[in-house]
Amino acid sequence: MNNKFLETKNITKTFGKLKALNDVNFNLYRGKIHGLLGENGAGKSSLMNVLSGIYQPEKGSIYLDGQIQKILSPDIASQLGIGMVHQEFRLVESFSIKDNLTLSKSNIFKDNFFKSFKKYSEIFALNVNENEIISNLSVGEKQKIEIMKLIFNDSNIMLLDEPTAVLTPQETSQLRNSLVTLAEEDMKTIVLITHKLKEIKEFTEIVSVMKNGKMVAKDLQTSDVTDNQLIELMMGTVKRSTINKDNEIGQTKLKVENINFFDSVSNIKKLEEINFQIKAGEILGLAGVSGNGQVELANIISGIETIFEGKIIIDNNDVSNKGVRSRKKLNLSYIPENRLGVGLAPGVSVIDNSIVRDYFYTKLGPHISKKRTSNYLQSLIKQFSIKAPNPKAEISTLSGGNMQKLLMGRELVGNPDVIIASQPTRGLDVNAVDAIHNLLIDQRNKGSAIFLISEDLDELFKLSHRLIVIFEGKIVKSLNTVDANINDIGLAMAGVSE
Amino acid sequence: MQISMILVWLWQVLVNKYTLSKRQVVNELSTFYSFLAGFLIALIIGSVILLIQDKSPSDTFSLMFKLSIGSVNSLSSSLNKATPLILAGLGIAIINTVKLWNIGAEGQIFMGAIGVNLIYINFQFSNSTSFIFILLVSSFLGGAFCILIPAVTKVLFGVNEIITTLLTNYIVIGLTIYLVNGPWKDPESLNFPAAAYVGKEVYLPNIFGKLSYGFLICMLLTAFAHYLKNNSVFGYEMRIAGGSEMTAIYAGINAKQKAFFAMLIGGGFAGLAGGVELLSQTHRVSTGISQGFGYTAIIVAAITGMRPIGIFLVGSLFGALSIGGSVIQTIGVSTYIADIIQASTLFGALIIQFFFNYQLKRVDDG
Repeated sequence: MNNKFLETKNITKTFGKLKALNDVNFNLYRGKIHGLLGENGAGKSSLMNVLSGIYQPEKGSIYLDGQIQKILSPDIASQLGIGMVHQEFRLVESFSIKDNLTLSKSNIFKDNFFKSFKKYSEIFALNVNENEIISNLSVGEKQKIEIMKLIFNDSNIMLLDEPTAVLTPQETSQLRNSLVTLAEEDMKTIVLITHKLKEIKEFTEIVSVMKNGKMVAKDLQTSDVTDNQLIELMMGTVKRSTINKDNEIGQTKLKVENINFFDSVSNIKKLEEINFQIKAGEILGLAGVSGNGQVELANIISGIETIFEGKIIIDNNDVSNKGVRSRKKLNLSYIPENRLGVGLAPGVSVIDNSIVRDYFYTKLGPHISKKRTSNYLQSLIKQFSIKAPNPKAEISTLSGGNMQKLLMGRELVGNPDVIIASQPTRGLDVNAVDAIHNLLIDQRNKGSAIFLISEDLDELFKLSHRLIVIFEGKIVKSLNTVDANINDIGLAMAGVSE
Repeated sequence: MQISMILVWLWQVLVNKYTLSKRQVVNELSTFYSFLAGFLIALIIGSVILLIQDKSPSDTFSLMFKLSIGSVNSLSSSLNKATPLILAGLGIAIINTVKLWNIGAEGQIFMGAIGVNLIYINFQFSNSTSFIFILLVSSFLGGAFCILIPAVTKVLFGVNEIITTLLTNYIVIGLTIYLVNGPWKDPESLNFPAAAYVGKEVYLPNIFGKLSYGFLICMLLTAFAHYLKNNSVFGYEMRIAGGSEMTAIYAGINAKQKAFFAMLIGGGFAGLAGGVELLSQTHRVSTGISQGFGYTAIIVAAITGMRPIGIFLVGSLFGALSIGGSVIQTIGVSTYIADIIQASTLFGALIIQFFFNYQLKRVDDG
């Protein structure tokens, strides 16, 4: 283990006040598959972006084969043999496979393209003609081309950012075989970023763990560590509940019965047999790593997604076959995780955005009264202490915290019976987080049934009465917050079943 | 080598040190100021061109002024000229509420006129007022029909409306040429390809002097478009749908349906421009129904930031410019000076507007 192929020392990268990477030391060994584990926002992608020349660190140095290197651009990284596969593919969709693979000037298989394409097609179990256009390929096939592109560019270090997130279980095990072959036969050095412990176990030899921009453990032999140890490293200490949860609980407000959802675009079953109920005054937390079906579930409950199996019952009304407005009329509010783009319309004024929920109640015939809407906005600004000096200004001129307060205020002012709050505090500073939490607690005390979707375990433990954990579209765990074990939840989120 | 070094240096000094950032608060009258500034820039450009040609700018402009708005008669001509510009401009502005561009107003104008003639030659009504009304409605429907295919392909398949509306212009103008050379050709028009004149009973009457009732229709529809865009529930839903389709779906607004109806209404407005022009000015279908009104209307709408009342004012000014431009030939100045002023106003106004919306900021950590 002493032949370090690549080594980073004290890498530091900040964005504004946020330290995305804090004195990070990281090692890679030739011909091994490495795992890099961590929660969202732990700094994994930032580190990979530094290695591939997309970000320039403020401090620290990178050694390749013992030589110090300055990686100033993706171009230089590629010359050094470092390549990355991003979560969003970077292929030219309208070009053929062959054109995409040979596009780069550093392509090493100019003269024997067919031979190499055939060889790697076998390794990747890829069964398509090299003249096929990229946009005709499935997601799994596109990913294979992305990885092959790195090989064709002579990358010896291959950084793969969550490669399995878009794959079916069969494709995932296929990918594993291909990567093992590449590491053994071609001596490729591979880094796999993932949330899933199962994949760390199956794919990698060496694992490193990041937490809050720091490398908390490096160069662990995967065979020597247990799931529990990894989860503890990844989660760190989680603050336990500090708020009073003895408020009055009432009748069942929201029932979700046997929800199944199949996404026809990606051909993946996104939700399987989801069942739960929430009573008035109760907060149910949904824990899970992003992309495990949370957005789809929230969209189904709020009526945005209408093609699914199962039943949504609000206040004893079956609304499964009805749209968004039917839910609004039963006083359901939805705070979507995508603040600007879904909850608020970019390019549209603050005042127009403030009446998105209620405009069809306040209207008089086909008319929207300027005076009424202006009074409505002013009362929101007062009640929720929003800083929005100019109602006619475009919404994106507000700060993130004020945007979220406007969105929350708009959704909560009608005292909703059911609230779906999806990642309500993501990306906000401490004060804004507290303000948003207090709004949710107030609303709980007023008798709303709240479905809190979050990745932040601190938040989930602080606010919810009960917790359920979602993994790959299935509820894998359900428990009361008081007697919940954090490691159990962490393991469930990472896909380890008991 | 030297030059490229200088360019690199400039890039580093200007682009790396400064960045454009969107202003938090934009002056509400910024569009008006940028229009004034743009018009001033256009007059300067026009003057320079006139000076190059050894013509006096002050003489030319004062003559244009006198002959376009100097008397009741010339003012009436200017406003009549402005009418189709304004109507088509309103149509473009309504469609832009959902952030779509209508480049097909020219074709919709022709289709509106074709709609009028189609109904006129096939039906007869004894009451001329109601007949005129029916003919105006059919011009609206003609314009809406013209944008139907771009609207359907936009909402069903997401086909870029800029291309499809532009292409329909060529189709409709082709159709017009076919009609006036073939089935609708008036034998009495000798070699000039045109349909027969409509009867005097369906002429749009004049309010006074030469000023047609078309201008009154135009005023009413300006008020209507202003209301529709700014105060109606439909306008609100269009604004949200234009801002973000996902937000619209989230709010329970059928974004595609709003886009579809916005396009049909906007197309109808441009069709009406053709109908009014036929019933008040040309009185027959020919390729001369529109003198590029549908394209100039894009300039008018863009200068005003898609505001109906602004379109009314700038459209009136542009109407006057066209009339003024057409008379200065008598002193040996090309009529194209009016076109140059119109186009330069747009450029000037858009550039000035840019500096209202954005500011240069120094990069902190240079």
